Order: sequence, then C-alpha cells, then structure tokens
Amino acid sequence: MPRAIARRPILSGLLPGAAALVAGRAGAQGIEPAEAPRRAERWRDLKQAILGDRPTEPAGPALDLSAPARAQDAALVPVAIALSAAAAPAARALYLVVDENPLPLAAVFRAGQPGALRALTARIRVDAYTYLHAVAEMADGRLLETARFVKAAGGCSAPIAGDLEAARQRMGRMRMSLPEGPPAPGRAVPVQVAVSHPNTSGLQIDQLTRLSIPAEYIRALRVTYAGAEVLRIESEIAIAENPTFGFTLAGAPGGELQVVAADNRDRRFEGRWTLGAAG
Amino acid sequence: MAERRSGRLTRRQGLGLGLAASLATRLADAARPAGAAVEVAPGLFVLPGVAEDASAANLGAIANTGFILGRDAVAVVDPGGSLAHGQRLRAAVAAATRQPIRYLILTHAHPDHVMGAAAFADCGAAVIGHARLPLALAQRGPYDLPMLARSLGAAAAGSGALAPTQLVTERLALDLGGRELVLQAHPPAHTDQDLTVLDAATRTLWTGDLLFVERIPALEGSLAGWLAVLERLRALPAGQAVPGHGPPSVPWPEAAEPLGRYLLALRDGTRAALRAGIGIAEAPDRVAVVEARHWRLAEAYHGRNVTAAYRELEWE
Repeated sequence: MPRAIARRPILSGLLPGAAALVAGRAGAQGIEPAEAPRRAERWRDLKQAILGDRPTEPAGPALDLSAPARAQDAALVPVAIALSAAAAPAARALYLVVDENPLPLAAVFRAGQPGALRALTARIRVDAYTYLHAVAEMADGRLLETARFVKAAGGCSAPIAGDLEAARQRMGRMRMSLPEGPPAPGRAVPVQVAVSHPNTSGLQIDQLTRLSIPAEYIRALRVTYAGAEVLRIESEIAIAENPTFGFTLAGAPGGELQVVAADNRDRRFEGRWTLGAAG
Repeated sequence: MAERRSGRLTRRQGLGLGLAASLATRLADAARPAGAAVEVAPGLFVLPGVAEDASAANLGAIANTGFILGRDAVAVVDPGGSLAHGQRLRAAVAAATRQPIRYLILTHAHPDHVMGAAAFADCGAAVIGHARLPLALAQRGPYDLPMLARSLGAAAAGSGALAPTQLVTERLALDLGGRELVLQAHPPAHTDQDLTVLDAATRTLWTGDLLFVERIPALEGSLAGWLAVLERLRALPAGQAVPGHGPPSVPWPEAAEPLGRYLLALRDGTRAALRAGIGIAEAPDRVAVVEARHWRLAEAYHGRNVTAAYRELEWE
C-alpha cells in the first residue's frame, strides 16, 4: 500500500460506530461540514498515491458517477460510471476510488476497444460514509475527476452473506447478460459479466475461530470479443462478492465473448459466449 | 393492571381458564394503554411493540415480546430491544406470577428482540436459541450495539444480548410444569437462526420474525427458505400466532397470507427483473412495488429486501 495512504488511520472505519449495514439504515448525518477539510486532504493524498503528480481537472459533463445516496447494503453498493458520448472514445482508463475504505482503490478499467468505458458498472464494499471518486484518463493525458458521496458503512468487514462453503463450491461460475441484445455495426450495447467468487476482503472475521478470513479475491479480468481485447479490469478487495461488472461492447454480432479472470491465489476462471442470433 | 392481574393469575396458576375468560381478557386488553402486557391466551402474555424504527422515544420497544406461565416456571420469549424494554417485560412477569423465570428464549439475533436480555442477566434462566444464534450474535454485536446507541442515545446504556446456554439444532421440548412448549429451529428464512415456540395447550404459535403483520418484513436469511418455512408453519396445530411485529395475536394460519403474498411477489418480481436484464441498482424501484405499498415502513426496507432477493436469486 502506498505510503501516503498508510499513514492515515485507515482502519478506523472498521470500528463500530457506523453500523448501517446490518441494521439496515444509517444515522441522520449527511456530509459533515467539520469533516470536509479532512476528506479533501485524504483525496489529495489518495490522488498522489494512485496517480502521482499528474494534475486532475473537474470532469464536468464528460463524466458522471452515480451510486445510491444511502446504500441498501454496504457490502454491495451498485456504482455506475458514464462518460459522455464525446468523451468516451478518448477514454483510456478509469479509476474508481472509495476514499474511506482501508484499501481505497477499488478498480481500474482499461479500454482495449474505444468506447468500452462509456458506461461502466461495478458493485463495491463501502466501509464508512465516504466520497467515491472516478478519474478518467484520456488519450491526451488529461485526468478528469468527479465525486459522489455515499452513506453506507461496515461493508468491508461485514459478515459474509450466506454460506462461504457454498460460495467456494460455486467459485468460478460465470454469468453474462446482454439486456439490449448483441452488438451490431453502429450499435454498441451494454454487457454485464459476473464471476461467482467469495471475494473475501481479509477484513472479515471468522466468529468461531476469531481469526481473519484470508483475502481471496479476483484481481484481474480480461474481456475479449472476436479475438480482440475489449477491456481489462484490475480489481481489489473493495469489489463486492461475486464481482459483477458492466461495460460497453461494439462490434458485429456472432462473435465470441470471452472473459478470463484470475484471483490472488492465481486461480484462473474462464467464460465464453457466442453473441448473436443463436447466442 | 399489575395488582388485578396478579391476583387473578395466582388463583388460576396458568392454565385453568376456559375460552370465555380468555376472550373477556382480550376485550379488556383492547382498551389497555400501550406498554401493558396483553394476555392473548390463558397464561400467555404479549407486550406489543410499536410499528416504528427504534428511537429514544420508544426505547427500542418495536418488537412483540412476552412470556408464558406454567405451574412451576416462566418462559420469556424475546426480552426486547433495550434494557428498559427488558425491564418493563420483567416487571410484567413479576406482576403476573411469583414463579421463577427459568427460560429466556431468543427467537433470533436481531437487536429489537435480544438487546433487553441484559434485564434478565441475574435471574439464572437458561438462555435458549437456535444452534446458529451464537455465531449471529457474535457477528452482529459490533454493529448492533453502536447502532442502538445511535438510535436510543443514553437510553441504550446497559442493553445487550446474553450468550445462549442451550442450543436447539432441530427441536426442543420445555416443561413449564403442566405446560409443554415445543421449540423448533428452522433453516435460513427471515434470518439463518429463526426459532419458533409452539404452546400446545393454547394452540398458540410464537413465530418470532417468521411472521410480520402490517410492518414490512425484513429479508436476511433466504427468500426461498422463508417461503418453505412458512408452508411448514401453516401446517402446525395452532389457531393463533404471536407475530414478531404486528398485533399481539393474530389468527393462524390466515395471518400468514399477506406475508406469503409479499414474499412471492418479491421472488417472482426479482426473477423477472433478472430475466429482463434489470440491474441490482434499478431493481428496488421496479420489483414488487405495488405489493410493498401495503406495508408500514416499506420506504425504509423494501429496497433492501429487493437487494437481498436479487443477491440470492441471481445465482440460483
């Protein structure tokens, strides 16, 4: 972990005090004015750690980051990141950061195909009331940033839902959905892929042994279509169980969509679907 | 209320009364102020919760709690949502009988049901729960205690669950002296540690949160599991139920119908959303929205239920 992040009291979010997740609702406070300077400083530190000295600029209408203001489930907060039609073809990479998480960088999306990052979705864990930041890296080197505040807490250390053993047995199964059908020339479409994986954060405790459940998480996904790379995703423990990502796919129908995922134990998972009239 | 009830129960010692007396009690109870125990069947008392979220004003008394009297012993079912709530319940027991509280039954780990246990810490009762209850209490504690402090303020002080001393893996019969209670541990449904209590003598089923009436159900265990458990509970020889939330007693199995309808709407609506490619972010505003309108506090909990259902069903 970069030094600039490590010297903050990053684990404070794990302590009791903001238990929205299990209790199902959070307290009444919003974006606390007294917290604003600390939050701003934290984001400056995070930017330095993740992006180095490169300056960022407000994205304006080029980039939109949306998430529920108050999460239904802090361990599974749906996030959508959209680039404007004008900006999307020039976006090379997209960074998603959960400022107050123990490991704030949640994912980096890298475009293999122009426009692949136009409409991204992910599900994240949120450990404390936090800003989310999205930064788009453009082909000309500019970094466009935007932010969104989310009220949710406890997501990183939240007990694993359901049966961890069952999740392990299902590990590696993949799902793919094409809500608008396969792509066609001139018609890029949204695609969602999901990998069944417990994606344990390393911050959850086995309540019987009182030991940490080791972190086992998907760290990389690569998506190709008809043999060409669409995008790559570098994924961290802030990504919720059963990592589920959405992106935009251009191309002709009938190609094969392939997803290859690898976890931190170097297990490799693969899914293939033919997208077309028959698929 | 205390003196009057105390005298009547001492004469009766629990079970002697017939239906007429029980009905008379119920009619009298209809006029009782909030916070008083209601005798829904001979020797079976319920302290009704309010249909609100826990707050300093209601002291966390949002779930139905109560107790059952036998010839020799008392069983308390769910000690309530705070120390103060538990103390109120304990006072109601003391007003009703001099028999000792020998059993403290926890229907599941949720704070509105267990946080009042601290009020019973010194009475030496066996603390009884589902085999998965200790794990759930351990996992929830670090979240629930601060949350309670946030909801109740200073009134939360001293509240807390008690560690179970006796676990139910399947079934357990308790003898209160001439009165047998049958405790049943269920597979994941409302939570993964739901326990019901059947009082055969009065054909009363204490459901814990496997039954919600009027207040919107909260899904945490398994949607498919809850539907299956509800079917099994319907078949039990009971004529009335004490729901975890709602009136102190309701006709059984009729009172299960709205809950069953809601859970089915949630299941079918979520499956349809999955088929239609509706994402988990959009689903809360699109699934079972009409069915949710029938319930109190739907605005606070329905979206969460849809999220939980989606999470469960997308990998089925």
